[in-house]
Amino acid sequence: MTDYIDVDVRPILRAGGEPFSVIMSALDCLEPGQGLRLYATFKPVPLFAVMADKGFSHSAQALDAGEWEVLFTPTATATRQSAPASGTSDFDDWPEPIVRLDNRDLDPPEPMVRILAAAEKLGPGETLSALLRREPVFLFPQLEKRGYHWLGGFSPDGATYELTVRAPS
Amino acid sequence: MIGASISRWTMSYFAAALAWLFVALALMVAGLGFPAVHLASPDTLVLVHVVCIGWLSLAMCGALFQFVPVLVARPLFSEKWALPALGLLTAGLVSLLAGFLGLGGRLPAWLWLLPLGAVLLVGGFGLVVVDLGLTAWLRPVGPARFVLVGLASLCATIAFGAMFAFAHAGWAGSIGETILANGVPLHAIGGLGGWLTLTAMGVSYRLLSMFMLSPDVDDRKSNMTLAAGALAIAVAVVGGIVAIWLAFGLNVVLSIAAVLGLATAALYGRDLIGIFSGRKRRQLELNTRMAVLSFVSLAAAAFLGVVLVLTGTFAAHVGAFAFLAVFGWLSGLVLAKLYKIVAFLTWLEAYGPVMGRTPTPRVQDLVAEERASKWFVIYYVAVWLGTLTLVAGQPSAFRAAAAMMTIGLAGIVREVIRTRRLADVAGSLRLPDGACTPCLLCARA
Repeated sequence: MTDYIDVDVRPILRAGGEPFSVIMSALDCLEPGQGLRLYATFKPVPLFAVMADKGFSHSAQALDAGEWEVLFTPTATATRQSAPASGTSDFDDWPEPIVRLDNRDLDPPEPMVRILAAAEKLGPGETLSALLRREPVFLFPQLEKRGYHWLGGFSPDGATYELTVRAPS
Repeated sequence: MIGASISRWTMSYFAAALAWLFVALALMVAGLGFPAVHLASPDTLVLVHVVCIGWLSLAMCGALFQFVPVLVARPLFSEKWALPALGLLTAGLVSLLAGFLGLGGRLPAWLWLLPLGAVLLVGGFGLVVVDLGLTAWLRPVGPARFVLVGLASLCATIAFGAMFAFAHAGWAGSIGETILANGVPLHAIGGLGGWLTLTAMGVSYRLLSMFMLSPDVDDRKSNMTLAAGALAIAVAVVGGIVAIWLAFGLNVVLSIAAVLGLATAALYGRDLIGIFSGRKRRQLELNTRMAVLSFVSLAAAAFLGVVLVLTGTFAAHVGAFAFLAVFGWLSGLVLAKLYKIVAFLTWLEAYGPVMGRTPTPRVQDLVAEERASKWFVIYYVAVWLGTLTLVAGQPSAFRAAAAMMTIGLAGIVREVIRTRRLADVAGSLRLPDGACTPCLLCARA
């Protein structure tokens, strides 16, 4: 039987915070063979690919009120892959965002312009977060070309897309 | 890679489509095809296929190569297939048209051109269907489901069309002859209703809510609209085949499909009202204002259809009904959205590389909406006048309306070319260091 460490990021998410650094530091504390039991206020789909890269399979179970319990179990053949610039690369030690943008009420494509402009001002390894109405599909290739990492997903009600962008270190 | 990049060949599809639309309008101005001659004559077949394959299908394919990846936030299954598909579709259409001209005695009766055209078109549409279908299939959410049903309808439409082409050449046996004699309405409903209309509806949901900052339509609502539309097409096509098989008339099947079609239009109208009333952006852009005129045309076509059925004159005026649906609803919507899509893609292509690093123009700075709106108004007024002349049985007046449509279209195309050339962008902002000048007919990868 796999032993699981519980990580509950629901309070962080409800407070509007960014739980990834918490999840990643919990991951660092795991003993070999240990898994992670994550509680979140939405199904953390973007995290699945990140965790798969780190050698964890997932099984997600819906709880009441749209909340989720996800079991991340170490797979036998854990291989760690890291692409230099993609949406699913190395997410260790992401610092708190130094810029927070609320781009929800801007006309398209203004949200994209502002995120790129703000990203240009980030120092190496620094992050920014942005709230959007939609998945910024045209922004991703631009971020990729410039070597940025990002992570994003919709809030449980599907109304807000939360994006975190990290400058290359 | 996650996300969508610029489709390399969308502009090429748009350019080819607009060229075919000019061909269609020239034919109408010259009095070739309906209403100058009968609806089922070879000349009318030429006109109908120039419009439906050359103009509407190519424009729709070009838009879908760009927008299916946006709808599903995944790259296209294969970007490499878009150009061969365009080549096959163009060659197939030319061969098909030459075959129709042979049927009408305007060219030597090389009827093998029809099956050849059909095979080329099946190849071209096959590439499109597989490419877009596999892309949308990975994440069939919201509007992407409309595209999948539209692609399925396209398959049914080209299957009928190919059968007709082989039957015209005498290569399809008695079953082919029977289907050719009875199946034309099913071919038309599959193409105009399933492929073009359902796909246009699906794409419009996302484009409208995106440009008006409106929440996406609730999936349960759009599912209901899609279900009604898909059922209408399924009843028409499957029920129609059964009715032909059993040698019943098509009347019962087509009546049920028509009621379902009306329900679809009504449900779509309800969804649109939801998008418009939930919008955060009060001031509407030209593409949305002009799209409203195409929705009015769709409602008017539905109303006209009902009136014609109730007065027992639908068969006599089916041409007017189809004209309003094709040029008011579908073509109007495609032109309105094309105007915006070209501006957005051109902006992204030209200024994407330097965005955030240096001041760049806004998308709105690439267009001159006030100047463009008059060409759209001329186009729509001409379409509505054209519909009236068809109902009134005035072929000469219809040709004048077609000429007026051509003027409107020429104006719109001029605006689109100016957008592509960044001609309306203020000189100081036009080409900052690192920006690239887009080429007219394709995008830089």
